[in-house]
Amino acid sequence: MKDMNCEDILIQKSALLDGEKAELSDEQINAHLAECEACRRQIEQMENTIVLLKRQKRGEQDADLWSAIEKQIGAQSEAVSPLKWQPFAALGVFLVIYKLLEMLPERDPGWALKIVPFILVAVLFGFLKENPFKINSELILEK
Amino acid sequence: MDDRTIIERCLKGEKEAFGFLVERYQAQAVGHSLAILANREDARDATQEAFVDAFQALKKFDLARRFYPWFYVLLRHRCYKLIAKKHEAQNIEDAEIIAPQAGVSGEERLALEKALLSLSREDREIITLKYLDGFSYDEIAELLEIPRGTVMSRLFYARKQLHAKLTGKFH
Repeated sequence: MKDMNCEDILIQKSALLDGEKAELSDEQINAHLAECEACRRQIEQMENTIVLLKRQKRGEQDADLWSAIEKQIGAQSEAVSPLKWQPFAALGVFLVIYKLLEMLPERDPGWALKIVPFILVAVLFGFLKENPFKINSELILEK
Repeated sequence: MDDRTIIERCLKGEKEAFGFLVERYQAQAVGHSLAILANREDARDATQEAFVDAFQALKKFDLARRFYPWFYVLLRHRCYKLIAKKHEAQNIEDAEIIAPQAGVSGEERLALEKALLSLSREDREIITLKYLDGFSYDEIAELLEIPRGTVMSRLFYARKQLHAKLTGKFH
């Protein structure tokens, strides 16, 4: 018992003083305390601090945040309209048709026609007012 | 109206219903951010931003959970984001974490307030959650997203720090 770390005992005892369950039994803790005066002194200090803290209450804070939050939510939902799927579907159909045309035998579309897919993609993002290369600094890493 | 009903209404597109949640928790949330930021204005800003974050993330909210512990995680995130953004020293003079009350002398309250403000943000946060709000270890573990055993040891060391700051004042 003497080898038991004083700090471990104190941590466990502090949980009991907080009215919480400890991971060690009362017997284990008390047996150590009976032999360790340094721990007993520390517990007395701990009790005084806890008594002092338990007499206090958190200050009540005045807050009326809803009007500002409502504006912010409203502004953001107007600014960030969800991406619609229809333009992407239309682009997909155009690209498939283009590829089929390209695959037709004995047809060699000139270079001007080859850049059509790039133009279509650029037009789509221009239409959606979205920058596909934009990095969102507000992204939050999820656990 | 309970939190779950409010959130369900928000999810159906009733944006105004979110106002009930804000009204219900804003004072508590500002108090909690104040304990971390030790600055009233910053605490209000962080709380406001956290509510906006919460509104935007409501779709991900698990309706089986309680709202406030989930929100508290967003609130802490906003507080620490604000700290990272503001590199200059914080003005801690206008923070009133502890309420004046009958039976507690002004001198005692001010000394404790000063000692709390001299602690690290993490120590101050966990001490105030435990003793000013009366949360259990399990509840603190949920709020801070740490194991119960870590709550136990962190509280022990935080209290030890607080005692060191207070030594000679009230013991």
